[in-house]
Amino acid sequence: MWGYVRLELTRTFRDGGYVIFAVVMPVVMYLIFTNLGLAPGDRHDAAIYTMVGMAAYGALGGAFNNGSGIAEDRATGWLRQLRLTPLTPAQVVTGKVLTGVVGVVPSIAAVLLAGVLVNHVALPPQRWLAIVVLLWAGTVPFSLLGLGNGYRLSGQTAAVANVATMLTLSIVGGLWIPAETFPSWLHAIAEWTPSNSYAGLSWRIAFGDAPTLRQAATLVAWLLAFAVYAVYGYRRAGRRA
Amino acid sequence: MDTDIPDPAVSLTTATKSFGPVRAVDGLTLTVPRGQTLALLGPNGAGKSTAIALLLGLIPPDAGRAALFGLDPERAVRRGRVGAMTQEGGLVQRVTVRELLSFVSGTYPAPLPLDEVVALARIGDLLGRRVDRLSGGQGQRVRFAMAVCGDPDLVVLDEPTAALDVEARREFWAGLRGLADRGKTILFSTHYLEEADEQADRIVVLGRGRVIADGTSAEIKRAAALTTVRVTVDGDAAWLATLPGVRHMEIRAGRAHLRSGDSDATVMALAQAGAVRDLEVVPADLEDAFVALTSTAPASKENA
Repeated sequence: MWGYVRLELTRTFRDGGYVIFAVVMPVVMYLIFTNLGLAPGDRHDAAIYTMVGMAAYGALGGAFNNGSGIAEDRATGWLRQLRLTPLTPAQVVTGKVLTGVVGVVPSIAAVLLAGVLVNHVALPPQRWLAIVVLLWAGTVPFSLLGLGNGYRLSGQTAAVANVATMLTLSIVGGLWIPAETFPSWLHAIAEWTPSNSYAGLSWRIAFGDAPTLRQAATLVAWLLAFAVYAVYGYRRAGRRA
Repeated sequence: MDTDIPDPAVSLTTATKSFGPVRAVDGLTLTVPRGQTLALLGPNGAGKSTAIALLLGLIPPDAGRAALFGLDPERAVRRGRVGAMTQEGGLVQRVTVRELLSFVSGTYPAPLPLDEVVALARIGDLLGRRVDRLSGGQGQRVRFAMAVCGDPDLVVLDEPTAALDVEARREFWAGLRGLADRGKTILFSTHYLEEADEQADRIVVLGRGRVIADGTSAEIKRAAALTTVRVTVDGDAAWLATLPGVRHMEIRAGRAHLRSGDSDATVMALAQAGAVRDLEVVPADLEDAFVALTSTAPASKENA
């Protein structure tokens, strides 16, 4: 199975779409937002706030890209070929989830590094650690949603659905523009999104607060819902493959 | 049960699979002993690919049973006893041939060394190339390499030479013979009679999801290469169908076309009956024989 993860990671890192949308774009947007003074408030605070938002945005891009890959693999017959190797279906699914988990690391790392090196973001070490862990582990619900779409929808449709979902969650979840600046009705919606609760955990920590129970509970609830969806999609795909 | 006889490499028992109203495989029974090279021959739509998907465990049969080496097909695949090349796909994007083959090999318990795979599949010049940038023929060689690199006991190839030119085809079969020389069981499908004839120990002809002929190449040719005996008839000619050797009869423009497996006996019987009028005896070529075999297959209920 590690061979499978290695092969899939090789494919991911050579995917131009992944490199541009999940790694380069978030960094570029981060630098533009912060250096053109588009983010509100104190310059250092804005650099921190936008850093977490853009790292979360990049991580979402990586997680959903991984899911779109599954639909592509179904269309090209690669999943069928895998069924003819000694790998079990459980190993293939686990391998793909692990690929997603590792695949978001460059997205998060690139934006955090840009924060430190370009915008001179300074945080206590334990806050850095907590942010990295939360940004990383928090991508699992999105990986599952992307995989569910990848299993359930055909190649092109899955890719479009995943990009649309990723952008909607990023924007409505306040990753680009703080949800606090939204009209109140949209702000109310934002607080229920998985993307807002995901980034919210790290925002709270970055500014020295404890994450709220509501944020954690919202993200866990979405995690469960997306896990059910991914299993449903996989079962459906299994019947057709 | 005689425990000295090992389980056959492939065993399909009255396997049936329908897609909507179409019965793709209809009560198919097929046993392939270990070490045999078997060609599954038939026109498009004969059920070859469905039969292969059933025996590989890719789709479950509606009725009947599939087994490989006495095991459930999925279990045989998990144990690394099977390598397969399906009709399309399996060429993944953004990796090199070497990366792809070392991954596939790594999933098997006792794979072949890479240099042996390279020699068998003739891919020495392709190892560093990206899989998604190969020509059709090169891609087929890589897919063949994927099927054999795990050193499986059974290799299943679904129309491996479709879309290959003559030279690529010749090279492909050279690779397959190398595999047969290693004692592997090989099952391949084709709709080219000459390929089955030249490459297989045994040919099974499928038509409408059923076995319509099964034997060595010579046996198939004998059974299939029916000579056509033509005579002019009038009145009720149905009795001609009961003459010795006659397998199939058709009346066209007052002439009976009798396809006979024993034209001498048919002509003798015609003579004894005093029915020799404008007699013609036309031997069939191989292509005719194949058409004769597959077009006289009993129609399944749905397609009748």
